[in-house]
Amino acid sequence: MKIDASKPLEYSTEENSNKIFGFWVFLGAEIALFATLFTVYLVMVNRFASGPSGPEIFEIGPVLYETFLLLSSSFTIGLAVHAMRHGYKKAMMVFIGITLLMGLAFAGIEVMEFLTYIHEGATLQTSGFLSSLFVLLGTHGAHVSFGLLWGGAILIQLWRQGINPATANKTFIFSLYWHFLDIVWIFIFSFVYLKGLM
Amino acid sequence: MDFERFKVHGEPLIYGAMISIALATIGIIIGLTYFKKWGYLWREWLTTVDHKRIGVMYILAALLMLFRGGVDAMMMRLQTAAPEMKFLDAQHYNEVFTTHGLIMILFMAMPFIIGLMNVIVPLQIGARDVAFPRLNAVSFWLFFFGAMLLNISFVIGGSPDAGWSAYFPLASLEFSPTVGNNYYSLALQISGIGTLLTGVNFIVTILKMRAPGMKLMKMPMFIWSALLTNVIIVFAFPVLTVALALMMFDRLFGSQFFTMSNGGMDMLWANLFWVWGHPEVYIVILPAFGIYSEIIATFSKKNLYGYTSMVFSMVIISLLSFLVWAHHFYTMGQGAMVNGFFSITTMAIAVPTGVKIFNWLFTLRKGRITFTTPMLYTLAFIPIFTIGGVTGVMLAMASADYQYHNTMFLVAHFHYVLIPGAVFAVIAGFHYWFPKVFGFRLNDRLGRHAFWWIAISFNVTFFPLFLLGLMGMTRRTYTYSAETGFGPLNSLSFVGAVGLCIGFVILVYNIYWSTRYMPKDTNGDPWDGRTLEWATNSPIPAYNFAIVPKVQTRDAFWTSKVDNIPLFEEKITKIHMPSNTGKPFIMGVIFFIFGFSMVFSLWIPAILAAVGIVIVMATMSFDRDHGFYISAEEVIATEKKLRGETV
Amino acid sequence: MMKQLFPIRHVMGYLASLVLSAAALTVLYADLSDSANIVILLITALIQASLQLFLFMHIGENTETKKELYLNLAYALFVGLVTIFGTLFIFVWGWYA
Repeated sequence: MKIDASKPLEYSTEENSNKIFGFWVFLGAEIALFATLFTVYLVMVNRFASGPSGPEIFEIGPVLYETFLLLSSSFTIGLAVHAMRHGYKKAMMVFIGITLLMGLAFAGIEVMEFLTYIHEGATLQTSGFLSSLFVLLGTHGAHVSFGLLWGGAILIQLWRQGINPATANKTFIFSLYWHFLDIVWIFIFSFVYLKGLM
Repeated sequence: MDFERFKVHGEPLIYGAMISIALATIGIIIGLTYFKKWGYLWREWLTTVDHKRIGVMYILAALLMLFRGGVDAMMMRLQTAAPEMKFLDAQHYNEVFTTHGLIMILFMAMPFIIGLMNVIVPLQIGARDVAFPRLNAVSFWLFFFGAMLLNISFVIGGSPDAGWSAYFPLASLEFSPTVGNNYYSLALQISGIGTLLTGVNFIVTILKMRAPGMKLMKMPMFIWSALLTNVIIVFAFPVLTVALALMMFDRLFGSQFFTMSNGGMDMLWANLFWVWGHPEVYIVILPAFGIYSEIIATFSKKNLYGYTSMVFSMVIISLLSFLVWAHHFYTMGQGAMVNGFFSITTMAIAVPTGVKIFNWLFTLRKGRITFTTPMLYTLAFIPIFTIGGVTGVMLAMASADYQYHNTMFLVAHFHYVLIPGAVFAVIAGFHYWFPKVFGFRLNDRLGRHAFWWIAISFNVTFFPLFLLGLMGMTRRTYTYSAETGFGPLNSLSFVGAVGLCIGFVILVYNIYWSTRYMPKDTNGDPWDGRTLEWATNSPIPAYNFAIVPKVQTRDAFWTSKVDNIPLFEEKITKIHMPSNTGKPFIMGVIFFIFGFSMVFSLWIPAILAAVGIVIVMATMSFDRDHGFYISAEEVIATEKKLRGETV
Repeated sequence: MMKQLFPIRHVMGYLASLVLSAAALTVLYADLSDSANIVILLITALIQASLQLFLFMHIGENTETKKELYLNLAYALFVGLVTIFGTLFIFVWGWYA
């Protein structure tokens, strides 16, 4: 394995820099995926039939908590990568840990939100609008949940192996993923919740 | 558990198919055991991460699917060969045309093309492998097990029967109560994920792993076409992923996306399907353009005319392919403004395509043409595809389309586009690159025989369908009365279909014959080729190139032969190789179990399989295998052996 | 140590994203027209997305692949926007009524 010392560790081998580039391409595909889900939502948003409409079920409180948690976790994963580049293994692991805890809290609030909707009689089967809402939010939530498993696996590897080209590369790619989920959330926050409530 | 659901109650035909599948499976198992080939199969093929072997497996699977889809086609042509035929009933006919479309597009044309890309792309750019060899194996096994999942549908539970486009509300639980469309949503999803990963892999491979000196504008045309195809794959397949997921939610969990009550919108399915579906057409056509460009240049002994315009026309096609989808449903109810817009974008695609046709013609002009089998397919492609293209412009006119819509005219049009545009191309590519992979050529005389049977029979089969469409015969009708007057032309079409069969039998026989009798090729360059894949030995050694080539010009190998520019200057050193792994195969198997369980709503096995998938992914993440090295001495010995020298 | 762990650019970016999220809330509490609200949401969301892309994801940091990454992003946005607005064009704005 050739290691190029002039580059940050996560880019240092050809394989590593290919992986980062490949993951960006994959994120391009994810943009198309979420754009399609938004398409479905925007077509369906007024097709709530006899079920509740958006303004009737949305509550701004939990959404603000979710937004704050996700923005903050995006900040801490950024700090983790920064710490990694300075070689602070412990700080890096702490930042990743905080990120994952906030992600977990986010997922928890989202589950509570879904349960509330269902309790109010707004289920996946109720109307076209609710189907599209649940699937859009659910896909994002599933991404976050998958991220928790992924991030956990990286933490274990960091703990065992320390910072090396392989773990640095994985952490960096994971940070890209996490920031991307934050971007998707910003659009959900703005164009699902705020637009629905305004 | 209710086992009735798994049974297919059908006709002798289906029972016959079940028995033959069972016998073939038993035969394969006995054969592998008798010849003690299990270990070989596992070590050399099922666990391989070598792009060439993966490519060969893609092509084998595609040929198998070509046979399956071809049998479906014959059944349809036989059923409609005369008025009031009693060969298939309406339900069975529906299943047959649905699987014919799905298999031919998704499990024949695409894997054949991806197989050729796998074999050729790393060679043409002078690389030792694709960017992510293990991911490549994952892609293949997901595709393969997705294809298998769809293929078992007709013996377990029932095939999808709502057309390959599975329009709602017909494909909903209400109107298609069998599990057929559950198979559709899951099998396509699994193989689609594999295809998406292929797309990512090849974009990185082409953009980051080219030999030193190969600038973008020095890449062979097939590489350009592969790059743009994979770009389309990466951005179009997520749309299919979403559409299929929503279909699955509707059918399995009672959501209201495409229903006709509670705010659902059945037309949204057609919309999403074609947002993916039209780019999909270009996914199978663009690589064909690349293959033809290579073949025309090689057998005209000239460099490709208008390289830059070729590249730009493909870039424009790749963008326009995302802007035309509504032309598949002009009659759905959107306003004149919408139809006008999509009509214009559709016609606009004819412009870059026309540029390409003229470039090929100009390349042929004053060339020293040799009429080999691949060249014959290429030359036949140009006029036949032009007929397909011109009828496409006819269909593009929204107001005229109200007459053509859903008639046999449309069926004839897309067969005139896809068969020369995709099938001829992969056959041509197959003949052209066969000696590179196996070290001997296919017999040219048998190849020409097969070609003439296929080219002529193709026209006999499909040209009558244009006329039938104009006479008013709609597609997907399983029978008609004698008074319609559709009988004679349909009979003629059946005759053509038999001719196509004969052509394909000769093609397969040629593979058998050539394997036994064709002489070995030892210089690695049987066609006097122009691009880097001909610069290495045939069959290709595992490491592709003993020395990484240095590129200075387009058609690098040609100029190195003509102007004596050395390609390989450095010394042979040890070569790093990735290790084989069985995990992609295991992952494919688990995905298959997951898909099957979901089809039949068996939640516990589905959840267990989902957990299994995550566990396999985790073990792949924790894997610390960094591959191995082939020593310089071993490389030198292999090179000598392949060149026929004594070691 | 603290300065190295909390670089000023990241802290500012984080605060900016919080402020922008709060600013987006004006659509709930100020009595503006619908189109003004949509413009506010678009601007705040796009700035936040750019913050993530350029500041946190370092999209431009690797000069070898910078151009390819921007092209990739542009292509993805092209396809995404065409899908969203094309579909709305078909089913909402351009529907035969």
